Amino acid sequence: MIKKIKVQDAVGTKLAHDITEIRPGEFKGPAFRKDHTVCDGDICHLQRLGKDHLYVLDLEQDEIHENDAALILGEALAGDGVRCEGAPKEGKVRLLAERDGLLMVDTAALAAFNMVEEVMCATLHRYTLVKAGELVAATRAIPLVMKRVPIERAAAIAKQNGGVLSVKTLRKAKVGLIITGNEVYHGRIKDRFGPILTEKVKAMGSDVMGVEFAADDADMIGKAIRSHLSKGCDFLLLSGGMSVDPDDVTRHGIRLAGATEVHYGSAVLPGAMFLVAYIGDLPILGVPACALYHKTTILDLVLPRILAGEHVTRAELAFLGHGGLCRDCEECIYPHCPFGKGS
Amino acid sequence: MKNFKELLSSSAKAHGHLCPGQAVGVRMAMLGCRLVGLDNPTEHSQIKKLLVYVEMDRCAADAIAHVTGAKLGRRSLKFTDYGIMAATFVNVETGSAFRVISTEEARDLVTLYAPGVRGKASQQLMAYQQMPDSVLFRVQQVRVPVKDSDLPGPTRYKAICSRCGQVVRDRREVLVDGEVLCKPCAHGAYFNEAKEITWPEMNWTPASTGVSREPHRKHDQRILHAHAEIPSH
Repeated sequence: MIKKIKVQDAVGTKLAHDITEIRPGEFKGPAFRKDHTVCDGDICHLQRLGKDHLYVLDLEQDEIHENDAALILGEALAGDGVRCEGAPKEGKVRLLAERDGLLMVDTAALAAFNMVEEVMCATLHRYTLVKAGELVAATRAIPLVMKRVPIERAAAIAKQNGGVLSVKTLRKAKVGLIITGNEVYHGRIKDRFGPILTEKVKAMGSDVMGVEFAADDADMIGKAIRSHLSKGCDFLLLSGGMSVDPDDVTRHGIRLAGATEVHYGSAVLPGAMFLVAYIGDLPILGVPACALYHKTTILDLVLPRILAGEHVTRAELAFLGHGGLCRDCEECIYPHCPFGKGS
Repeated sequence: MKNFKELLSSSAKAHGHLCPGQAVGVRMAMLGCRLVGLDNPTEHSQIKKLLVYVEMDRCAADAIAHVTGAKLGRRSLKFTDYGIMAATFVNVETGSAFRVISTEEARDLVTLYAPGVRGKASQQLMAYQQMPDSVLFRVQQVRVPVKDSDLPGPTRYKAICSRCGQVVRDRREVLVDGEVLCKPCAHGAYFNEAKEITWPEMNWTPASTGVSREPHRKHDQRILHAHAEIPSH
């Protein structure tokens, strides 16, 4: 039960919730915390914050305070690699990454959670790379006091697959690069793909074990793949030869090497001619030439997901279509832009 | 109780087609039975312990009846025409009762739980199998006062309508100004313009042989027409 009292009559009573103070451009935070005992000196301050009345709470057995609710919700939402920051502030609980990695969000469970009245959770986009301690989501119950059952139901929904939010560690892969193309193989031009791919691999915390060069020859490409595998590489990146020209035989070479799955084409620009293949569980990415020119491409969307252990297939490449169009800005600010975040 | 896949398959067969309502109904019944502690309600030892109140006459109602074994004629299945996707499961032995309500938000979440499935019905069917119970249902613990005239078992009460002479069973008669009436006489009925008729081959019995019962023969239709002309007595 909630009772409303005049602020002048509140001396000696305990505040039912944090009271927020906002000084534009200067401060936003709790001026008073829940359970603070109101004293004479507080009355003017509270009135300056626009509080002429305060609530006094007398909870029924089946009711719950917003702070207790927020903690239940936060604990339920936090899956592997995510934790609640601590006590709720202003009714909100913040969820932080416990480790570096890729943020995973069960978007169906999140939507189902938010469909429960009186609760909310807002998150970063899934597949965002996050650092330990980074804020990934926040949750709260909306009313000051509510029934306990909807909170418990929302918590059950949040827990359906072990929590809505998790952070997956990127594995440290032993990457083999294969640079294809007659123009490089025969020394007509200098390879520029190798350094670009190496930099992207290293940025994800993996190592490049070796670089092989192959002409536009399917057999040679197949042999280069097998050579990397024999040296212990567990992830291969191939550049070039992904287009529609008669000389583009990289796909064929990947098949010759024994690929068990080949998914060619993605719904992303730049990166339509991207390829994901597997030999057993070992992933192979075919990177089209667009990655030579554009700072951010499909590779930046898929590489972390594969290193996080996701098995990328035709469906994942297709679902990237919504939000998969790069605006090709003069100054690339990815990942702080919508590219790749619609799926 | 059989597993969900088996129940869905047999329910669809009994209902006539596989549809999203079958998935919801089968799951609603499985949850309801679990909550009232009857894990195998179609088994002889449990069949008389369960009452089911369905609140809609939609596909799900058939699935609920199929899974629970509750039947209108056994008086274990009650139809309360609320137009609500809900059913209440009552353990008559313990008195425990739970009303399971299909959530409206589940319909809005279909595309998220079954992305990439084409066709509305197919997507719903898939999604309603993927969603956890917590998303698909809300549950209320309820008390269902069951009158003895609503219980299964032999007919305990009979009355006679003082206007039409019809026997009315199980206390469904109505008292109007001290007069015992059947509901059609007291309140009107779902039908109107009723007139009694005779019909072709009135003396047929299951033991009859060599008598065609096809009503579409020209001869029969003439007879039917002729009899229909006769005013009721």
